[in-house]
Amino acid sequence: MYSNNKECVAMLLAGGQGTRLYSLTRDLAKPAVSFGGKYRIIDFPLSNCINSGIDTIGVLTQYKPFDLNQYIGNGQPWDLDRLSGGVFVLPPYMRSEGSEWYKGTANAIYQNIEFVDKFSPQYVLVLSGDHIYKMDYAQMLDYHKQKGADCTIAVIDVTKEEASRFGIMNTNPDDSVYEFEEKPKHPKSTNASMGIYIFTWEKLRKYLIADEADKSSSNDFGKNIIPNMLKDGQKLFAYRFAGYWKDVGTIASLWEANMDLLNERSGLNLSDSGWKIYCRSMAEPPHYVGYDATIENSIVTEGCEINGTVRNSVVSSGVKIGKGAVVEDCTLLPNARIEAGAQVRYAIVGNNAVIGKNATVGGAQDAPVQGEWQIAVVGPGASVADGQVVPIKAMVD
Amino acid sequence: MNNIMSVIFASDNETKLNDLTLHRTTASLPFCGRYRFIDFTLSNLVNSGITRIGIMTRSNYSSLMDHIRMGRDWDLNRKNSGIAVFPPYASNTSRNFKGKIEALYGILDYMEWAQEDYIVLTNSNVAVNLDFDDVYARHMETGADITMLTYRAKPKDSRRLLVETDKNGKVIDSRITQMSDDRVCQIGLNIYLLRKDLCMRLVADCYEHGGVDWEKNVIQQKGDQLHICAYEVPGHAAIIDDIQSYFTESMRILDPQVRNDLFYRFGKVYTKVKDSMPTIYRAGAQVRNSLIADGCTINGCVENSILFRGVTVEEGAVIRDSIVMENGTICKNCQLSYVITDKDVTITDNKTISGFGTYPLVIAKNKTI
Repeated sequence: MYSNNKECVAMLLAGGQGTRLYSLTRDLAKPAVSFGGKYRIIDFPLSNCINSGIDTIGVLTQYKPFDLNQYIGNGQPWDLDRLSGGVFVLPPYMRSEGSEWYKGTANAIYQNIEFVDKFSPQYVLVLSGDHIYKMDYAQMLDYHKQKGADCTIAVIDVTKEEASRFGIMNTNPDDSVYEFEEKPKHPKSTNASMGIYIFTWEKLRKYLIADEADKSSSNDFGKNIIPNMLKDGQKLFAYRFAGYWKDVGTIASLWEANMDLLNERSGLNLSDSGWKIYCRSMAEPPHYVGYDATIENSIVTEGCEINGTVRNSVVSSGVKIGKGAVVEDCTLLPNARIEAGAQVRYAIVGNNAVIGKNATVGGAQDAPVQGEWQIAVVGPGASVADGQVVPIKAMVD
Repeated sequence: MNNIMSVIFASDNETKLNDLTLHRTTASLPFCGRYRFIDFTLSNLVNSGITRIGIMTRSNYSSLMDHIRMGRDWDLNRKNSGIAVFPPYASNTSRNFKGKIEALYGILDYMEWAQEDYIVLTNSNVAVNLDFDDVYARHMETGADITMLTYRAKPKDSRRLLVETDKNGKVIDSRITQMSDDRVCQIGLNIYLLRKDLCMRLVADCYEHGGVDWEKNVIQQKGDQLHICAYEVPGHAAIIDDIQSYFTESMRILDPQVRNDLFYRFGKVYTKVKDSMPTIYRAGAQVRNSLIADGCTINGCVENSILFRGVTVEEGAVIRDSIVMENGTICKNCQLSYVITDKDVTITDNKTISGFGTYPLVIAKNKTI
């Protein structure tokens, strides 16, 4: 049991800056962004790993890592403080022949070949830190073994219109992949890559070394490694996933994923005791709901004090909402404060942000514009003055 | 500050808590939505840098062991110091201990072996958020032999230690009474700070003279020989030792001042983490003046009440002035008032159950009505 050899090691790509989340990732890496009241995005892949029996995880960090490092700590909240294995934060490091930043997703793994080799795994699971989903990687690994694959790529069925925004896997009837197209204008299929790969380590190791030697490569899984493997006739298979999955890389999609928690039909259910999502506890008391509060169709968590009206919203830990304030269709991040009489609609309010008395932020909407809700953002620590009006889709830093 | 150790007494006055302590010690009695009583004491100690903690149990201690485990949730899984739980019969005495003196007599070795020079003795049925650094500073300042913590309240008909002090805080008289009184008195919280060697001497001397009761045999009978000072705790404090005080003190947490005192005054309160998801309010939720823990699903009306983790309130249910402990399910169109339901209680459709403000009704663990 305490052998240092692991059948499968997970490598979680958590270095992304997440520029499309604007001020929400000003001070921290995207996987550390708060989600669903008490979670961070990275809780999903970490919890999926431990629930799938994978207890050795390298977290590749690069952009603003302190918050994420502190949050992960020794991995105890995810039961990842292990005698053998556990969670390891892996920033770029100095080596004898010079050092460099992680140049791309493949290069990040390449730079940590020695780390993976320490566990002598047969398989490596590559994950990204910006998706909300629950998935049993053990089933995917079984599939990988059963197919005798060199690489298995998890795919999800998307609509024809959405397909142009994803990497698309074109497959044969046996689900082997014959072609990979990155964001195709005219998609041939709707199998979108979820950014979750299982590789036979021996194979991946060779391709990473070859890729590094190729100076013209952009060292990316989607652009280089997968196409190269296909070109060489390696066995690539698509693994079809049918549950909830969402990329939360943009303001609108982050907001939508939060709203999906309120919809019983969305498929995103966090109350399943058989597949818990773990997170680091803030040690806050239960929340208090005041005499004048109204809360409907919303999620509220520890440390909150609610004295106003909350509808269709996700309220994170330590949020205070004053009397007469109205919060509708919002995601309020930890310790945000909404003062009395403020009106906040269709907005994300960042950590520790303050919305002053009788201020107005965002506005009600009937339908998305060109597929996207118009979400106002009040950045972390920002203040909206008493009575100030922040229009629909505006950003306050 | 690392020169203080502590011993917590997990069992006291359990008989008056009836159904609520059938399956557990007072220390593991659920309180304020997500805590067990002992969380407040443990958190105060840890927040004050006191990390060598012995817990004396007498009976029904499995729920306590399950709650505390290795002490990780209080940052007490240490190489040096940390938690030691003493179940009954842990020492070479052949019977279960009767009082604190006898309990301490059984662990003199543990106390001797610890490197700390001072000791905090504390009961676990106390709701207070305090700083032992400040208690220690006062102890040094007054040069007292024993500093006992007190608060001011009107005594009810439970056993209380009432103290009289002079203007310097020196205890000049102490009475143990079970009589209620309309006047506000200074009451002992059953928390003491003293030198460890003095504690060991007092325990050995008292036990060998047939004494078992710390309050009676030390605080009262040796009161003349010892310099005992009172430290009145700032902020909210309460002792819970019967159903009525459990109910009243629970409900006081709905007062913002009390909540702030108990949850934040000196430091945070830690407890076992359960990883429940946040609470979901559905379309039928109407919640007012209530304290709600995580993991609940609310689709009914909740007023002046406390819901613990994982409670389900179905459509049309109305809960008023009640406490619903962990994983309670209140089904459609039920009406509850002045009720305390223990863990894992289910109230099926259309039931109306009420107690009274001065006599809340307790529904025992695991029952379905």
